[in-house]
Amino acid sequence: MDRQERIWLGVLVAVFALVNVITLSPLVPWQQWILWDRPTPQQQVRVEFGDYQIRLPSGGIQVKAGEFVEFVATSQDVTYGLGVFRKDGRMVFQMQVVPGHENRIVWRFDQPGAYDIRSTEYSGPRHPEMFVPDAIQVTP
Amino acid sequence: MGWIEKWTLRFAVVALIFLAMTGFEGVLMRTHMAAPEALAGFEQALNAVRIADHEPTPAELLYGMMTVHPIVGVYGFAYMSVMGAFYFLVPYLLKKEIRHKKLVPLNFWLQTGGVLLCWLSGFFGLFNSLYTLYWPLPVSFDRVPLVGTIPFTVGAAVIMVNILLFSFNTFSTVLSKSNPQSYSFWQFLRAAFGISRLMKWLGKEDKNAPNLDYNGLPVFVVAVARGSIDTVINAIVLLTAGALILVYGLAALLGHPLNPMAVDALVYKNWFWWGLDMVADGNVLIYTAGVWYLLIPLLVGRRLFGESVVRTVIMVDLLVSLGVWSHHLLGDQVQPLWMRLLSGQIITWGEFFTMGLTIFASLMTIWKARPVKITTPLLFILGSIFGFIIGGGAGLIQANVGLNLILHNTQWVIMTHAHTLLLTGLSMLLFAVIYALVPMLTGREIRSRALTLAHFWFWTVGSVLMTYVMGMAGSQGMLRRMLYPQPNPYQVYLNVAWVGGILMTIGFLAFLVNLVATLGWESVLGLVIERKHPVPVAAG
Repeated sequence: MDRQERIWLGVLVAVFALVNVITLSPLVPWQQWILWDRPTPQQQVRVEFGDYQIRLPSGGIQVKAGEFVEFVATSQDVTYGLGVFRKDGRMVFQMQVVPGHENRIVWRFDQPGAYDIRSTEYSGPRHPEMFVPDAIQVTP
Repeated sequence: MGWIEKWTLRFAVVALIFLAMTGFEGVLMRTHMAAPEALAGFEQALNAVRIADHEPTPAELLYGMMTVHPIVGVYGFAYMSVMGAFYFLVPYLLKKEIRHKKLVPLNFWLQTGGVLLCWLSGFFGLFNSLYTLYWPLPVSFDRVPLVGTIPFTVGAAVIMVNILLFSFNTFSTVLSKSNPQSYSFWQFLRAAFGISRLMKWLGKEDKNAPNLDYNGLPVFVVAVARGSIDTVINAIVLLTAGALILVYGLAALLGHPLNPMAVDALVYKNWFWWGLDMVADGNVLIYTAGVWYLLIPLLVGRRLFGESVVRTVIMVDLLVSLGVWSHHLLGDQVQPLWMRLLSGQIITWGEFFTMGLTIFASLMTIWKARPVKITTPLLFILGSIFGFIIGGGAGLIQANVGLNLILHNTQWVIMTHAHTLLLTGLSMLLFAVIYALVPMLTGREIRSRALTLAHFWFWTVGSVLMTYVMGMAGSQGMLRRMLYPQPNPYQVYLNVAWVGGILMTIGFLAFLVNLVATLGWESVLGLVIERKHPVPVAAG
């Protein structure tokens, strides 16, 4: 291997190590609880998908800022996506909702306020209708 | 002009027609998203000839088009270009004929027919399950019309069988050079997966075995043969998925619908992505690398830098491409975490090394050949390298267990990553090949330098503008495959992206005008329509 190639390979290894170490570390906030701490959630919320509908628990979803909540999503027909969005449209997190499986994710909301839920996976031509405004109320 | 040269130009002409079709669809979709009412009259006219039991909604029309848009782009434009170019270049470089000449016209017609059938199923039959075909959506006939599903799967099967025939022809042509004796299926397989090369490394070389890394083979040919392994795996996997959908479709047609839940959606998704990624992360990268390795030394007049490393990279990339599929399942929390971490993130970063070394070898070859004249093909190759750097970098950012939670299924994924790779990276490369091959095949120089520069700059600026601005929208939460109600919160991004699409269209038109001016109308038509007294193309 040529000297210049060895230097370049070293640069590639350094970038690989740096990016992966940083992004797997708690510097990405949710990696703290998804990869490392694995805390027991204080609350569990079940969300059901089917026939282009998103069914929330009766009474809606209320969570406290700073507490861990586990979302358990199921689908009765096709694949959907559970996406949580801020009111300005920016995504907080999302996961795929695969039929025949219980799809789980733990999250901690830091900011109080109202959040929308939108299906993030195409499920047929009526997919854009799958939107629930103010689905989650996060209290201080 | 010889027989194979003529077929190569035929493949190129039809490939460009498919690019025009997929580009036209792209502009229609961009327009629909930016100004939903603008196409109402056009849609009404098309609805008059559509097979549907009801007036299709704008969403059904959009998703039908979105489903076939990548099929026409990838299997129409890209594969037709590749088939035409490789059928000329492989025998040219090996100084021998294609092993099975009868397959060449068969490949041409099957690919054209298969792509057209898929296109008709989506554009007119409203098959709308999108190319991802996530189970059980393609067999949910309350959402996806059966009348579109069956022809789509038949069309896809024709394409996949045709790709298997093409790969077989290419591979057997290459291997018959490295070892002209007859060889068994297992020897064929050993060569395909690089076992012969590995044994050579270990000092146990079998000189009678066909070897993909035979020293007499040009690097480009090794890359083509190696990439064809991914192509074969991709075709087989997609054939099985298509067959499954077809069985469910026929059962429903005969009034005996099958239970979609009998197939595990997660297992299917893993199988599907494992196969599909052989194209996205396998043959696209390695075919691209092969073309850079071929054209750059030819254009700058210098031997390829670091050839021994490059040969190793070509073989290692096969292992990488076999293990990266989970980066499409990073949003699936039911996918085991170790698979998301290992396959989805760490092995995917293997492409950072293979493509990093490939791009380094390519750029160093140019650098060490200074002073270099920037010819048209070289200009487009530099553009394609730029596209692969930007699109590949965007891909590595999203192939991350943490970051994917906020990037999955956003415009970032499909535009900044996928479309930058396809439009700025792959398309520019295919344009470079056409610019390089036309003078070789016809003896005519490309007519207008001004039009090639217009093509380059309009296409580059347009594609980067469109993909970058939509990536920005994605980082603000804009989803792919989503129709937002008016007022659309991402309207500004959509408007700018539309301008980018129009700039690309202008660039493409400049290219077509230049090509027709170079070849002449009569010659171009003569490639498609057989005449009693053909007009010679190589009259220049």
